[in-house]
Amino acid sequence: MLLFTLRRFNLFLFTMVLLTILSFSLSFLFPGEQITNISGKINASPESIELIALHYGKHESILSQYWIYLNHLFKGDWGLSMTSQLPILDEIYNHLPATIELTISALFIAMIVGIPIGFIAAINHRKKSDDLILSFAMIGYSIPIFWLGLLAILIFSIQLGWLPSAGQISLLYEIKQITGIQFIDILLSDSPYKWQAFQDASSHILLPSCVVALAPATIFIRLARTSMLNVLETHYIKAAMAKGLTFRQIIYRHAIRNAMVNVIRDVGLQFANLVTLAMVTEVIFSWPGIGRWLIESIYQRDYTAIQGGLLALSCFIFLVHIFTDFVYATLNPLAREKNRGSR
Amino acid sequence: MNLLDIRNLSIKLLSAQTPILAVDRVSLTMKEGEVRGLVGESGSGKSLLAQAIVGVLDDKWQVDADRFHWRGIDLMRLSIDERKAIISKDVAMIFQEPMACLDPTTTIGEQLEEAVADDQLTGYFWQKKQQRTLAAANLLHKVGIKHHEVCIKSYPHQLTEALCQRVMIAMALARRPLLLIADEPTAAMESTNQGQIFRLLASLNQLKNMSILLISHDLENVTHWTNTITVMYSGQFVEAGTTQHIFNQPYHPYTRALVDSSPKANMQIPKKSRLMTLPGSIPILQHLPIGCRLGPRCPKAQKACVEAPKVKNYHGHQVSCHYSLKGSY
Repeated sequence: MLLFTLRRFNLFLFTMVLLTILSFSLSFLFPGEQITNISGKINASPESIELIALHYGKHESILSQYWIYLNHLFKGDWGLSMTSQLPILDEIYNHLPATIELTISALFIAMIVGIPIGFIAAINHRKKSDDLILSFAMIGYSIPIFWLGLLAILIFSIQLGWLPSAGQISLLYEIKQITGIQFIDILLSDSPYKWQAFQDASSHILLPSCVVALAPATIFIRLARTSMLNVLETHYIKAAMAKGLTFRQIIYRHAIRNAMVNVIRDVGLQFANLVTLAMVTEVIFSWPGIGRWLIESIYQRDYTAIQGGLLALSCFIFLVHIFTDFVYATLNPLAREKNRGSR
Repeated sequence: MNLLDIRNLSIKLLSAQTPILAVDRVSLTMKEGEVRGLVGESGSGKSLLAQAIVGVLDDKWQVDADRFHWRGIDLMRLSIDERKAIISKDVAMIFQEPMACLDPTTTIGEQLEEAVADDQLTGYFWQKKQQRTLAAANLLHKVGIKHHEVCIKSYPHQLTEALCQRVMIAMALARRPLLLIADEPTAAMESTNQGQIFRLLASLNQLKNMSILLISHDLENVTHWTNTITVMYSGQFVEAGTTQHIFNQPYHPYTRALVDSSPKANMQIPKKSRLMTLPGSIPILQHLPIGCRLGPRCPKAQKACVEAPKVKNYHGHQVSCHYSLKGSY
């Protein structure tokens, strides 16, 4: 297990190096002055530009410039946003938690709904319910998310009036930011309307996260179905049957865990896809997350924000990926250590 | 009374066009305490027959039989659930490739414990957990694994093939079966491990009076360990009788060829001469010959062989051939 952890850590390190190289090179590739792009200080006087250039090691070799850039990153100096002139790190700190909330809740909805339905489809293989689930999955996968988001607002917010259509929480509730994750903040706050606020926040997150979850859920349905079908054809299921276990026991004790192993491995891959969907959904639902902020920055040619947001978002995706890898390793003893033969 | 009495069991593969008769009217009887070998080339339907007896074939296969009796109970009259209950109580099966037959994500201990039937346990549910652990350790001792603590905590991939097969046998023993079906239990194993597994099976047969149906493609190895042998070819019944009869005086040309084809240490053969084999290979399921399926390869085949022969019984030595070798001894 230690070896596994070290290997994942190593992978994380190298990916971070590559990402920072990309973000560093973006400051050269974007139009305009490189110094302005990297520091975000527009309208600076020639003297102060010279000072900033010195600060970023502009007169040294490209390698030492990169090294200085890395130092800045680690010190928390990610430059200023070109539009708001606020530090990028503060902006990310303000926006990323909302996205984390949205994506994680969407991921859980997608998994909790998608995986069991996929298993049910596999167990009823070649029956009507299997075909029904598959066609539902196909339709769900092919619906464009911006259309679905607008449709959901139209039906659930405007016509039925069940759920709010925009924002993270009603403006009535004032929640002090402690951790950034709103649900935790609500629980930590000592407001007398704590539970009402909690309810309100949950009703706000429900619609966008369901919209984000639909496409990944359909992918999980298909992943879980194929994985369960494969497991049901293995020898150990046949052996368990010969052992005299009932079908229910076989499914619960052997089939589900083995099928989950294969599904979990792909959850990390699907998460990047899910974040992309969440960015679009944030715009539709005016969710104050990093996706909306990033898209607005692209519209406003805020190059510093694009670099910083890219770095933060991909870092988050990668951390989730590694986390699912660990879940995979705990479920699957084969992944934890090398095989006897390969040593 | 016969433990297992199967008459004319057929297994059809339901494919897109016409159903394929993979096993064609095979009969098999097992007495209590008997060790019977089921011998045939790869693809002769031995494993199918065994899986049909245990009832683990999926719905692609259709099983019919004229008679399928278990200790005098007609299983064909019972519903699927009742049949499964009786079979899983008294019949256990071990498979080839034991490592593939153990759940890779569950420890050996958990898998052993769930094989222990509930009715063997007494007391309340909090006592049962402990009893199960104890039963699992005992089962491992029975199959000759001394260090049960290590074994119980291991995952299948951490054990060797032979150990996995022992664990499979331990699991099979958990329900105290009357019949153990061993489907090539030593395939892909070294000969020392093979010997260990066979000795273990033989001792179980002698000590617990457990009947064993030993499936193998290796006639010579089977003769050491069995009382009686049934030979199959391409899904058809060939010959059945005591091991001495089958090995020394086979009545069927196929069995004769099978016995002759296994080389012996004291054989005097000239240099670079060919070993005795039947020409050709076993037919594939899509192109089965009509009548006796051995026909195209048989040295004795004549015109009558396009009709499937009837089984003839000579004092318990059954043979299915128009031109049996009985007169030549």
